Amino acid sequence: MLFLNKDNFQRDVFLGLLAWLILIIFYFIFPDPGIHDIIQKVFILGLFAMSLNILIGYLGLIAFGHAAFFASGAYTLGLFLQSDFVLNLASFSIPVAMLLAVLVSSILAALIGVICIRLKDIYFSFLTLAFQMLIYSIILALVNITGGDQGLMGGFPKPPFLGIDLGKPFDFYAFTIFISIITIVLLRQIIESPFGYGLRMIRDNSERPAALGFSNQKHKLIAFIIAGSIAGLAGSLQALLDVGAYPEWAFWSKSAEPLFMILLGGMHSFLGPLMGALIFEILNDFVTANTRYYGLVLGLVILCFVLGLKKGLLDWILIKFNRK
Amino acid sequence: MLKLDKLSKSFGGILATDNVSLELKPNSINAVIGPNGAGKTTLFNLITGKISLDKGQIFIGNKNITNLTESEITHLGVARAFQITNIFPTLSVKDSIKVALLAKQHGLNNMWNRFKTHSINNEAESIAKLSGLTKSYDTISSELSHGDQKLLDIALALALKPKVLLLDEPTAGMGPEERWKMIDRIQKLWKKTKMTVLFIEHDMDIVFDTAQNIYVLQQGSIIAEGTPKEIKNNKKVIEAYLGGGKK
Amino acid sequence: MEIFALFDCIMSPACLLSQAAGGLKIGMLLFLVASGLTLVFGVLGVINFAHGALYMLGAYFSWQIMSITGHFGLSVILGALGVGIFGLLFERILISRVYNAELLVQILLCYSVVLILDDLVMIIWGDEFLSSVGVPEVFQVPPLFIFDAIIPPFHLAIIAMSFIVGLILWFIMTKTRFGRLVRAAAVNPKMLEALGININLLRAGVFMLGSFLAGLGGALAASVGSVVSGMGNSIIIESFIVTVIGGMGSISGAFLASLIIGMARSFGAVAMPLFTDGLMFLIMVLVLVLRPQGLMGNKK
Repeated sequence: MLFLNKDNFQRDVFLGLLAWLILIIFYFIFPDPGIHDIIQKVFILGLFAMSLNILIGYLGLIAFGHAAFFASGAYTLGLFLQSDFVLNLASFSIPVAMLLAVLVSSILAALIGVICIRLKDIYFSFLTLAFQMLIYSIILALVNITGGDQGLMGGFPKPPFLGIDLGKPFDFYAFTIFISIITIVLLRQIIESPFGYGLRMIRDNSERPAALGFSNQKHKLIAFIIAGSIAGLAGSLQALLDVGAYPEWAFWSKSAEPLFMILLGGMHSFLGPLMGALIFEILNDFVTANTRYYGLVLGLVILCFVLGLKKGLLDWILIKFNRK
Repeated sequence: MLKLDKLSKSFGGILATDNVSLELKPNSINAVIGPNGAGKTTLFNLITGKISLDKGQIFIGNKNITNLTESEITHLGVARAFQITNIFPTLSVKDSIKVALLAKQHGLNNMWNRFKTHSINNEAESIAKLSGLTKSYDTISSELSHGDQKLLDIALALALKPKVLLLDEPTAGMGPEERWKMIDRIQKLWKKTKMTVLFIEHDMDIVFDTAQNIYVLQQGSIIAEGTPKEIKNNKKVIEAYLGGGKK
Repeated sequence: MEIFALFDCIMSPACLLSQAAGGLKIGMLLFLVASGLTLVFGVLGVINFAHGALYMLGAYFSWQIMSITGHFGLSVILGALGVGIFGLLFERILISRVYNAELLVQILLCYSVVLILDDLVMIIWGDEFLSSVGVPEVFQVPPLFIFDAIIPPFHLAIIAMSFIVGLILWFIMTKTRFGRLVRAAAVNPKMLEALGININLLRAGVFMLGSFLAGLGGALAASVGSVVSGMGNSIIIESFIVTVIGGMGSISGAFLASLIIGMARSFGAVAMPLFTDGLMFLIMVLVLVLRPQGLMGNKK
């Protein structure tokens, strides 16, 4: 028990693996593919939302254009797996594709970040959105490469690697959750490191750091790149799930989804966005099963949280139990 | 230790700092006084590099720090506390001081260790002790009393282990008893660290009791400087204050 | 890039004129809507992300009134007024709660209302799009031929109407007491309160005006296009672009920016048909990077 109380990396890894095992067991206890689907989606979107929360919750930067990196990850993976490289790489295709997705997204984040970081507040927010929509337009315009408004057409192969066959539902489930949990554990390390507290410092007071001999801009840029990379990873997982990539993932409304999750779950607790993703998906599932007026229900729920609770669910729970 | 050589700065035609020169001896404690709008905070901003000089030079020891950036100047040994507390609301006293220490030591790029168990903990504790914040060490900054917030503001500056410490109205917003406690605390840490201290203050009793040298600023220029005794009897100063004794 | 197509068009008076007229129509209609958005931001400090939904309501309201009365003018005026009243209620009940909240809260609040309204209109008027109200009879005349360009007179009417509304808006803002109070409120609301002006009434009034403008835009749009749920979603983005390019809070900036965007769209559709929208966003990126306060905005 003492081991579990220590807040360190080893404990996080242990808890992460434990969670993964529990979810694997869960897979067999509840064989309904619908439930598996929800859990996978919760992790993919949760990862996306947690990456955005690096910026919103910990850095205090409201980025409106975060889905640009989600989409870039998805399209990179899709295009790579559709290309001839797959013939050469065979069983390394998917790992390479995913690494490429993360790499491309991080480069994109570096380029966009360098320009956006120079602006403040609402101008920063709008510029990120403008860049995202610019990328959306580019995706639509390059019809020959991206398939335009139809998205990547023709699917792509998912060659097995290291004994994992992503064509099989169980393999996909286990793999997706594993990758997500590893990323979450690594993200926690970053957030709880001195770097992470540097983020909080900038969020709390953007003027004082200079008087402490510290450069905000470099720190913000690195955080922006990390956030973009993780979003790209999430996008690549989504592309693997849907065996495709769609321009809607680069549209501004896709950037609203992680914002909702952060609102619903809470921006001040590490796992808040993940809980938000859970709430979001359950709501989604429940509502679309009963009515087609999904927007109405979602809108009302958000309104309640914004005006009523004023904080996310996990934040609220943790405050009630007096921990942070 | 700190030498200002004919500093001048205008804002849109208004001369905020007018040919200011002064020299602080190492390990001295000095005060800047003057009516509101005299340009005291502007002077601090010039020294710390927050705003740029029009004319003049600034030296820390032998090093010319004229027109260096705020960050660079901080690393060369100048630290300041602010008039309106400039702290990190959601961080505890402990975490705030740790973050300041790490910032100075370029340790905030580190992603491998855990902040909570960082070896900097010990150093942070001693700074808190020096600043009189041991009792409120784990309190979240936004929940601190006004006095403790001001102490934290100073603690953050101390974390930089400065050679020159600038304090901008450290007793602002406090009642008389609290004020003396604060200045007492400042004297204690000045004696312990042997820094060169320059503070802005309106309470004349405190100034005369604490400072070794006093500089009187009016409309951007120094109209008098000297020991408390000299200043008390200086006609120009008496005129400027119309009878002395403030707040 | 169809550079040659663009070149040919500019060289041909017919094409040049018809594209220019089209650009003017898009631009002026956009100006109507965007002026409301920038007004609300400039005075109330709120980014009303639901502004596009108000535009949509204007279209639906006027469509409904048209189908009841058959009178075009009435449908436009009453439709816009209806949205104005809705805006008033929206401001008093919801917006007023988030004046001092952070940007994220304001955006989420407004977006939730968009989601609600998008579904609500489907519940009330059905899922299918409603065919346009149609050009009013008086304008059902043969198109004008100016230098061989085909220009529907109704488009000219829309341009004229928007321009006139813009002039009226300018007049209100600069020559009337209300306008002076509004501009003062943008700069120093506390001072006005201290002078005994009812700030709440002023705020509600401004929001109502902004909503009216959005509704008017929607009502006019209903005459030349179909009415469907979600039609506000593209106009809100364009309005944002205009507001940013023109300068947030500046109506004259919105006018200039709307013209630029209108022309960019119209000629952009010739030069780069696949990237027309992209061109707008590129302009927005350039403005934000080079001159964040916009063309007519003030550096804060």
